[in-house]
This record gives sequence, structure tokens and C-alpha cells, in this order.
Amino acid sequence: MTTPLAEVLDGQHAAELRKAARALLKQPLLLSHGKHAQEFRLVRRHASELREWFDRNTGWPLHVDAETARLRKIPGVLHDSTHPACDATRAAAPFTRRRYVLLCLALAALERGEAQIALGRLADQVVLDATDPGLVASGIQFTLDRRDERLDLAAVVRLLLGLGVLRRVAGDEDAYVNGAGDVLYDVERRALAGLLATRRGPSTVQAEATADRLAQLVAETALDSDDLRFRAMRQTLTRRLLDDPVLYYDELSDAELSYLTRQRGFLTARVAELTGLVPEIRAEGIAMVDPEDDLTDVRMPEQGTHGHITLLLAEYLAGAGRPVTTDQLARRVRELAAVHGTFWAKAAREPGTEAELVEQAVARLAALGLVSRTADGAEPRPALARYAVGEPLVLEAGKVRLPAQRKARQA
Amino acid sequence: MTVSATAPTPGPDGFSPFAHLTVQNTALYRQVMRAFVMAKEHFAVHLRPEDVYAALPGEVRPAELDGVVKALDKLVGWGNLRADPDTGRVSAVEDFYRKRFIYQLTRAGEAAEEALAAYDEALGRRGALQAIALHDIVTQLRALLVLTADEQPDPGKTYLAFDALASRFAALADNARAFMGSLQRTIDLHEVEEAVFLAYKDRLIQYLERFIQDLITLGGRIAQLILELEESGRIEVLLRAAAGREAADAAPEEAESAAQEAYAHWAGRWDGLAAWFLTRNGRESQARLLRGRALGAIPQMLAVVRVLGERRAGRSDRSADFRTLARWFAEAADDASRHRLWRAAFGLHPARHLTIDADTLAARVTAPVPASTPWAAAAPLRISPQLRRTGSYERRGKPRKVEDRQERRRHLAEVAAKQVAEIAAARARLVTDGAVRLSELGEFDPVSFGLFLQLLGDALATWRPGMRHTVATSNDGSMEIRLSALAEGTTAQIRTPSGTFHGPDHLIEIVDLTDGDVLTHGEGER
Repeated sequence: MTTPLAEVLDGQHAAELRKAARALLKQPLLLSHGKHAQEFRLVRRHASELREWFDRNTGWPLHVDAETARLRKIPGVLHDSTHPACDATRAAAPFTRRRYVLLCLALAALERGEAQIALGRLADQVVLDATDPGLVASGIQFTLDRRDERLDLAAVVRLLLGLGVLRRVAGDEDAYVNGAGDVLYDVERRALAGLLATRRGPSTVQAEATADRLAQLVAETALDSDDLRFRAMRQTLTRRLLDDPVLYYDELSDAELSYLTRQRGFLTARVAELTGLVPEIRAEGIAMVDPEDDLTDVRMPEQGTHGHITLLLAEYLAGAGRPVTTDQLARRVRELAAVHGTFWAKAAREPGTEAELVEQAVARLAALGLVSRTADGAEPRPALARYAVGEPLVLEAGKVRLPAQRKARQA
Repeated sequence: MTVSATAPTPGPDGFSPFAHLTVQNTALYRQVMRAFVMAKEHFAVHLRPEDVYAALPGEVRPAELDGVVKALDKLVGWGNLRADPDTGRVSAVEDFYRKRFIYQLTRAGEAAEEALAAYDEALGRRGALQAIALHDIVTQLRALLVLTADEQPDPGKTYLAFDALASRFAALADNARAFMGSLQRTIDLHEVEEAVFLAYKDRLIQYLERFIQDLITLGGRIAQLILELEESGRIEVLLRAAAGREAADAAPEEAESAAQEAYAHWAGRWDGLAAWFLTRNGRESQARLLRGRALGAIPQMLAVVRVLGERRAGRSDRSADFRTLARWFAEAADDASRHRLWRAAFGLHPARHLTIDADTLAARVTAPVPASTPWAAAAPLRISPQLRRTGSYERRGKPRKVEDRQERRRHLAEVAAKQVAEIAAARARLVTDGAVRLSELGEFDPVSFGLFLQLLGDALATWRPGMRHTVATSNDGSMEIRLSALAEGTTAQIRTPSGTFHGPDHLIEIVDLTDGDVLTHGEGER
């Protein structure tokens, strides 16, 4: 019955759906205006299909209205700490304690506030809210009259600008940081309303330990039948396949593992069909790898000094096949600098920067599930073997005279 | 209207009938008084305490009848009620021994209730637009129109019609004013209770729809009737008749001025009415303003609805949620747990995946890796040697770039020079030595032929029916062509490498205007 035209249309539909799904996975909060407007339109067009898919396979609710699309993702595992909130600047430094607290206080103030707010006013309210006895007891306080505190607030505001919760109307944050001016914002209420992804409001959770708190935040309804248990397992596994770089079998419970063993083909095919990811199934686990190389926030391999060092250290770790200490890694960086240093940013060749370079590389590898951190270094995990590359090229590099002038690009 | 000037105890407590508003149990007292007012509307004058008790709404009704009796006695004390001994039969012994009274409103009490009712109405009035009033106005205007038909309009009927018209119109105008005010109040109230607002919104929209419709249809008809009355020129007669009737009661010595005054009064009202429905002297009619206002109310109301919707989109305790999270972030043991909390609470993290390049992927398709292979045993990812050595995919710093450009520039220059030379040659080839026949031009190379065609085109574009001779200058002003038709009707042929050009033969002369010599050496001017 299928005519060529119908096939073409089907293909187009599938491609659009895939694009929309990938956009949502990459950016769980999409706005109808701004740089993601096109993706938003795609998501909106296929909202019902996507909603059904995510609901059935991951249990993630998808909310789409005229202005926002929000996939309220719950992580497959709660112990992964490699997804910090980051500065909107190029350095993308992870948020500190003070910045996280400031962020939440700012959101609380915005939630109560009007459609517009000035940064100075926001700061006043944050300072007021920070006098909450619970916060004072934890030893944190804000006055926001020191420059570094204002820098923290500016970083928080830039994160919100990036998310589309705030829209700048006038002024700029630098002036505020320098104490020379104020900034006016429009508050995008719908984006603000969609920020929290938890199943329960944090204010209704009574637990005291952080782990319990996390568990309760995302707790689903009680599971009292086999069907529901299986569904929960399928959803957890699919969440991990969709969101995480590598799913190692040794991290799963027996029940999960036996379910996965039986349903592996089905689960990976469903994910592959929606997203275009390709399953790389090995004895130790599954990685959904991306041929398009853009469904990720951490790339490997990547160009630039840090990407290069990470790649070379990955080879080294893969070759070592056992835990390696930070010192050994630093030594290795020094050796590498002798061979490849000419391609690196000048700062990376300075003596004494090895520790920092190693830290960055290990953080990146850990984020990708390729190594796990140990007390004094890093231990390779099975998938790291993907990057085990032979040596001969290095010898060749020694012979070739390379042009002396080129500035390696910053990561 | 009765006024408290005749209250039983004038003096400092002249307003004691209002005392129940400022004491405890005001709600009870007011409901008791309300029971009397209601009774009076049903023409019942006296009420027994039991009747009052039964009439009280549940929320203010005291547990015992005694409570009501006390309240009644208090009200008697303030002068709102009057108590008379009850002489009716009783059916219980204790009732017989009790001092029994029946109660009725005093004039002062009644006046106070009226005042309070007016007060409540004025404050509580949401402003209703009276579509009915419009109908009434149409009816009265029609009646007036009928009256104009009479030579001597009946003063009584005229007066009544005008009076009814005036009172309906006054009510309409009042209501419109209240309506505009209350509309603004509703819209400005950003703090309104959501349920209240939503209920009000539905009613208001329905109401506005109906009213706008009436205002458009009836407003037009009213304007029409007013115009008819005015154009008939009889309106003044009617107004005078009404004024005469009103002034009839005046004392004889004031009769003349009273009639004048009454007439001025009625004429002013009439103008007011007309201004309401007709746009005059550049001032927009009130009806039109009102219509615009009513229409404008709908989008404004939608804005309020949106604000409410937004508020609902955020749950009411969201702010508390964020404050709780702030505390948790502050209490978390280390950065790692804070990052975990961030991820779980906000779920804004992008998906993260390892990559695979096309070559590796293709290799795997041709030679699939069994699922039981450990990672270490499978072929590793193909990393570009360039990337592995230098940390970047593309070469940087190509010193030959500059040379490339020079070469290209030289090439361009050569091409340009060649073209210039070709065109010069073509021009030279085209220039005729005096007038020749087309058929004598002989063979052209492609460049010359192209140029020739352009010139011929320019010349033929100026060709009009009946012309025998034409002169044209090429677009760039560099050449001139003169063309004369021949009478004999022979055909000319011009051969080119890509074919032969046929056409009626002409006498042609081509001059190169850029070459100063040509003018002197050809046969110059036309």
C-alpha cells in the first residue's frame, strides 16, 4: 500500500521527530523565542507523540504550551555528581555552595514577585530571605555589598538568563557588580514555573540526610504489582540509556540486570529509533553512542589543548589497565608536553600546571563514565578501551618537521 | 423621603438608630433589621420574636430565642424599633408569664435602613449596564414622535413621556458611569481572588456581549429617532408643552419665568440625550465611547486571566520549595552532593553520550562485534592521526594562502586583459568604412557578432513603422549605428562559426565614438 510519496513523508516525519527528541534531551527547557525557537516549533508539532513516548518509556512528563516546552527529566541514577550547574561564561566553572543557595533564594523571590524585577531589588529580597533561621544555622549569610558576592549573584542571574527565566530589558550585570548601576529584567513566568523537575515539592519532604532527600524528591508512587515494577525498571534503564554515556552492568541490581538481559534488544532499539543513537553493546555494559556527535555536553575526542590532553591521558590509562595516581598522570602530562607541547596553549606548557590539566582531564573522563575517581587518582573503566590507540604515530611525529608558528585553540 | 429630623429623640443622639453598626454583634442587629424591612415589603407591620428568630439566617441566629429578644430590646433602646405589648393568645404557660411584646419599625429605624441600603448599593454596585433602559428610551421616543403629529400636543402625555425618558436616561447614564468605574476596578485588581474573578469574568463577558449588541442596534435606532424628532422641528413645541405643564403649578407671579426656566431645563436634558447618542461638534457620542470601553474591557480582562493563569502555572508553595532547596544546598556536605541535588531537583542537564565516527560505524556494520566481547577486546575507536598528534583536525597556518591569491588575481587580470583585447578587436572589426550593406559585412567571430547583435538590437528598438532610417548609440555610449532600410527587399546573410544569420538587407554604418580619429576619417556627422 505504501507509495513512494508516503514513504518520503514518513521519513520526513521520523527525521523531524528525532530532531525534536534530541533537542529536548539536550535542552530540557525550550522557549518559543530566542535561539532555540526552531527546535521549539518542532517539539510543539510533535508534542503528543513525544509526550506519549517519554511518558511510557521514561516516566518523564513533557509539558508543552505556547511559550515553553519542558521535559521534566529525573536522572536514572542519583549518585552521579558530574552534572553541576555551570557559569554561563566560557570558563563554565561549576556552581559553588554560595551560588546554589543564591540561585534558590533568587528563584523564591522571583516566584513571589511581579512580572518585572531589578537586580538591586532582587538582591534586597535575597538578603532578606537569607535571614531564614535554617540558612543562618547552616552558617551561610549574604550581604551582597562585597564585590565577590555580587559576582556570585551576577553568575546566578546569567544562568537564569540562559535558561530564559529572565529577559534583560536594560542595563548590564557588570555595572551592577562594579556597584555602578542596576539591571532590569522581565520575568518569564512559564519558564520559571517549569524549573523544578521533582515529583514532590521539596517543601513537603521531611528527610534530613541528603541521600534520603534526593530519593524522596523523585520517588514515584508505590509499586505494588509486577507490571508496575517492570515498568519502573524499564523506565529507569531507558532513562540511563537516554541520558548517560555508559550503562555498566555491574551497577545494576540483579532484578534490573535480568530484566535488561531479556529486554536489551527491545530497549536499545526503542531508544535508537527515537534518537538515532547507536547501541554499542559489550560484555561489561551498553553505551548508546552518537554518530552525529552533538547529543552531549562533554565531547571526546575533542579539539583543543584540553581535549588533546584528555585523549592522550585516556590512551595512557587504557594502556595501564589499572588504577593510576594523580602524580603518575602529572608525570605523563610532562612527557606528553615534550612531544606535543608545541600544539598546546601556552599556559598549558608552563611548569606547575600539570595538576590542573590532570584534574580537568580526569573530570572529563569521569563525566563520560570512562574512569572512576579513586582516593589518589583514577581507575580506568571498561569503556575506556575504546580510546586505546597504538603508538606508531608518535614516532612519526618525531620525524616530521612541523611549522613552528601556530597557536593551538583553547578547549 | 423621610428624614431623621423628625426622629423621636433629636439632639446629640440624633443618630442613635445607627448605633447598632458600631457595637458588637453588628451582623445580628443588621439581620434583625433586615427581617423587619423584608416583612414590611410583604406588608407585615408587626413581628413577634419567634418570627424574627425564624427569619434570621443560620450563621447569625442565636442559640436561644432569648438572644433575639435581647437584640430586639437593644434596638428598641436605640430607637430603631418600637415594642408594643403582645395581646395575642399563647399556647404555653412559660410564654404567658414572659413579658411579651410585638415589634415594629420606627420611622427613624426605617430611615436608617433606607440610608444603609443606599450605602450598600452605592458601594456594592458593580455597575450594570441596562440594556432594558435602551428599549425604554426607544419606546418613549416613539411616543414623542407620535405626539408631534398632533397640532396641539397633549401637555400631560408629553410631560409623562419626557419624564419617563429623562428618568430612564438618568438611570442609564448613572449606571454607565458606575460600570466604567467598576470595570476599571476589576481590571486593576491584580490581587483579586481567583474564584471570584473567574465567576465575575463569565458573567461580565456574557453581559458585555449582549449589551454591546443592544448598544449597536438600539443605539442606532435611538439616534435615528432623535434625528427625526429634531428634523420635524416640532421638538421645541413638545419641550414647551412639557415645560408649560411643569410650570402650571407655579405661583401666578412666577408663571412666566417658571415656564422659561422649565423650558431651559428640558432643552438642556434633551441636548444631553442627543449628545449621548449622536456624535456632534466633533465630540464623540457617549454611546460610542461606552461601546469602545466595553469592547476594550474584554482584552483587558483577558490580561487579568493570563496573570491568573500564570499564577496557577506556578504552584502556590513554589516559593517555599525554593527556600527549602536553598537550605538543602547550604546543608549539603560537599560540592558533589550539591551537584547531585541540582541534577535531581532541576533536571536541566543535557544528555551525555560518547561519540562514534562514520568510519568506525561503517567498519562495525560490515564486521559486527558480538555483544559478549569486552571493550578491551573490540577494535578501538578510530582517532584521526592528525587529531591525536596535534589536538585539532585541520592544519593551521598555511603560508601559501597569500601566493594563491596573487595567482588568482593575476589570472583574473589576464582574463580581464584578454577580454578587453577581444572587445577592442571586435569593435575594430565592426567599424564600417562608410555605409555598407548588411550582406557585405561578411563573416564575424563570436565576440564581434555578439557586439553586432547588441548594436543591431539597439537600432531596431528605435525603429518605428514608416521609418526608413534610424540612428542609435550603444548602451555604453561607445558606438553608434546608422541603419537605413532598402527598397528592394533582398536578404542579407552573415556567417559566424556557430551558424548563419539571416535578415532583410539594410544599409548600415557603424562608428566607434571612443576613437577620436574615426570621426574625422569616416564621414563624420550625420
